[in-house]
Amino acid sequence: MTWWHALIDAGAVPAAYAPPPSSGASARDGAESNAPADLVEDDELETHAIAGAAVAVVPPTVSFLNGMGRWSVVAYDGVAQIVNAYVAAAVCRRDDRGVLHATLERSRAFAIAPVGRVSPALRALLEQVAPDIEPVDDALVGQPARYLEQVESTVRRARAHLERELAEAATAALGADEWLVLDGLLSRSPAVARHPRALGVIKSHGAQFLEGRGLERALTLPAGYRTSVFAVRGGHTRTEVYSWYLRLWPWEGNDLLYGLLRVEARADRETVTSASAVSGWLWAERAPLATPATRWDRLLYPLHHVEEYLKARAPRSPAVRSRLPVA
Amino acid sequence: MIDKAIPGAIGRVVATELKPATPHQFHFWTPTDTSIGIGAIVKVGGNGTGEEGRVVYGVVTEGFAYSDLQTPLHDVVGAQGDPTRAAEAPTARQQIRYWTAAVLRQTPEEPLQPVPLGQVYVADDADVAQALRMDTFLYSATPTAIPVGLYTSAGRDSPVYLDADFLLGPEAAHLNISGVSGLATKTSAVEFLLASIFAHFPAHKGRVAALCFNVKGPDLCFLDQPGDLSDEDRHRYERLGVPSTPFERVQLYAPLKADGVNLNTLRTHPDLVGDVEPLTWGLQEVVDYAEVLLNRDDIDAKADAFIDFLRDRVLGRTFDDGFGTTHRVQTFADLDRLFRSIFDGLEITAGGRSDTWRTHHIATMRKVRNRLLNISTRCKGLVTDDGPSSDLPWNEFKDRTVYVIDIANVDPLGQDLVFARVVSKLREQLERRELGVDAVVVFVDELNKYAPGDGPDTYVKKMLLDISERGRYLGLVLFGAEQFRSQVHRRVVGNAGTQLFGRMDMDELATPGYQVLTPATKSKLATLPIGELMVRHPHFTQPIFVRFPKPPVLRGRDGVERFPPAADVPFEDAVVRQLVRLDRRVRPNQVKDLIADREQDDVRRALAAVRRTRPDDVLAYFRKVLGARVDSQASRPREHQAVPPLNAISDEPY
Repeated sequence: MTWWHALIDAGAVPAAYAPPPSSGASARDGAESNAPADLVEDDELETHAIAGAAVAVVPPTVSFLNGMGRWSVVAYDGVAQIVNAYVAAAVCRRDDRGVLHATLERSRAFAIAPVGRVSPALRALLEQVAPDIEPVDDALVGQPARYLEQVESTVRRARAHLERELAEAATAALGADEWLVLDGLLSRSPAVARHPRALGVIKSHGAQFLEGRGLERALTLPAGYRTSVFAVRGGHTRTEVYSWYLRLWPWEGNDLLYGLLRVEARADRETVTSASAVSGWLWAERAPLATPATRWDRLLYPLHHVEEYLKARAPRSPAVRSRLPVA
Repeated sequence: MIDKAIPGAIGRVVATELKPATPHQFHFWTPTDTSIGIGAIVKVGGNGTGEEGRVVYGVVTEGFAYSDLQTPLHDVVGAQGDPTRAAEAPTARQQIRYWTAAVLRQTPEEPLQPVPLGQVYVADDADVAQALRMDTFLYSATPTAIPVGLYTSAGRDSPVYLDADFLLGPEAAHLNISGVSGLATKTSAVEFLLASIFAHFPAHKGRVAALCFNVKGPDLCFLDQPGDLSDEDRHRYERLGVPSTPFERVQLYAPLKADGVNLNTLRTHPDLVGDVEPLTWGLQEVVDYAEVLLNRDDIDAKADAFIDFLRDRVLGRTFDDGFGTTHRVQTFADLDRLFRSIFDGLEITAGGRSDTWRTHHIATMRKVRNRLLNISTRCKGLVTDDGPSSDLPWNEFKDRTVYVIDIANVDPLGQDLVFARVVSKLREQLERRELGVDAVVVFVDELNKYAPGDGPDTYVKKMLLDISERGRYLGLVLFGAEQFRSQVHRRVVGNAGTQLFGRMDMDELATPGYQVLTPATKSKLATLPIGELMVRHPHFTQPIFVRFPKPPVLRGRDGVERFPPAADVPFEDAVVRQLVRLDRRVRPNQVKDLIADREQDDVRRALAAVRRTRPDDVLAYFRKVLGARVDSQASRPREHQAVPPLNAISDEPY
């Protein structure tokens, strides 16, 4: 029996609500603050053709890190929503046959509850049966929609924390020629951000680092081109990293962000000189397609694989069950 | 003999709403580099599924592989329309090997429930024995296990056994083997299986022999000669506990050629021909199986009645034809004289006004005469004018002996006659318990020809049906082989308790009889290599693939190359050879002097008498019978030298 079943048995009202699956990832990177970019390559933001996949040099060993988060409201105590959350992250290393194998993995299952607004009896029970409770501010309990945004934010933070820990562990364990590619910001961890063979691949473009003509060039970048490298301070650590945009698939006929990646690497001159080569490598990663992911145009297949791996290993969401009224 | 290994899990059972696990089928996945394939036997443990102690054995019947590719178009897009670039993708798509297995056995057997979603293991020797229910006859106080081959899937080489009670009776019996021609599978499998039976036939079941009809080429002519075996074959013999040596006791019979002295077989090499016994029959044997000659298109009650009359009242007796002549019919020539006497009598004595004799119509008599006398012409060499000169030892069949009757070059009518008489005699002797053995395996190749699913009901077909349906009670076991199982009478193949399948033709596999097989199993059957078979046996709930070693005998084609058949020798030399074979002391010149001025028919009769009598002093006896009257009519003036062939243009309506 799960911890929330114990609550329900003790009088909590059963619930089954899960947020739409797409809300998590896009909001995560968009939440990063905007910061002006300083060009470290060229006098103004230029576009550079990258070498095709045929001449791309793909590192022999690459590890890919991705994470996932899942939550659902499982019980009510009055209007206080009690949430079951699960976050996980994993690293998969690609072998010389191109097959991915999980090498590192972490997960956390926890409850999210406005502990102060839960009735004493249920609160005592919750603290007794739930192995891990993440308290949230109970001021928003009376506003369910905003409360759930708070829950979303809490889960996202937990996931980011897990990914950062795993990224640090992964970079520490990287082989001599091994690279680490992260799904998301590289700059969450200073140690990771400074690693010479770590890349962050950002699919969401909520944060804007360019403006004017530079922004226009970046957003209308042709497929097979990258922008000049610029320096940004990203993440809450404000660690400086170098970044550039890369277009994997033609955007014409779709939208400006179609096939557009932002790549982060350590702030070093070497990054500038290797930006085209790295871009060529990422260009080669277009195949296989990461379908059926909705954002396959900018999701690298290995990162998609890690996400699918985590989903397959995640406990079944309680909200998956039928939401038909219980007789 | 039985290895017990501790295997690691190689897969895991999965079940979905669309593809659930059932009591008879389950699905599992394995890594892509798994060793298992179609036909592999696997074991599912219930441990960890809440069903501890339950074990399910299954055989893989279908395999699937697919990736997370949603549509082939995505692969085209990823490769930008260039197939050569598809291989450049740095990451291999996630893919699956997904297998379907049919349940062979569950332990405990009750309650019968869906297969637990547990770990899947490769079956070891002991598991194979359990899965195929071989434990019941392999480990009993009186084991009845006959090795049929090695289960070699998934890197194993586990012996697979048939139950003698279900192969040779009395529970079930008979074996049928199908496969395309030219791959040396059918004959080789039977040869190996006979060797296995001889090595493992349980003592408590008595004695066993085999009788094989060689119906094409030299297939079965060299069963006593060693063949070439590879080390792998020898290993397989060792694993199966079967000696890798040719049959110790083989007796080959072959009719004579039309000259009456040379053997009608491909085993005529001087080094081997001495072991071949002539097979020749006389009138009595032919009349007893006259139905064989008549049933093709014109059998009727009248002919039957007349043949019965001849058999009961005429043959071997002193008989008055009613026209003033007394006959003693023992040979075809005697019979022809009787017929001529009757026809002349009706023509002359009755003035042509009567067309019946002893209530038998002249047309019926003419038809029977034609059919009976025709056989002596068409099968000259097998059928002789004289009585039985050389026959199988019907009271003295030896244990673990193969009797081969080479009728490859005999007229089809003669082949039918040989089948009918030999099998009928076997049944007769087994019924009386006077054959000398308790069970006989009769191997008949080309069942498509002898027991076709359509066409007229011939005597041979009815006889094969009779063996199939009743032989197991007598110990008369039919091992039949054919190219197209679908074209053999379904009661013949249906009564075969054990069925073997070699490489099959795809058209044959498309027939309804193979609908129970999965497409993957059919595909495997269509590409089976030499030496691999699919086995169905009453104890096996699913077909099993096994490999058997090359037979330890010389293959027919190799035998002919190593022992080229000798050319026919002149009459005198052939007589000498036969007499020398019977008595090494016989000097060729003495024989040639004896027969120098004699009629060949007289010499043949004398030779037949010697073969029949087997005297201690062969030459003396030969001289005696050659100089004396050999048969009852020998001293009478002969109107013709042999049974004349039937007139090609006859006025009789049959």
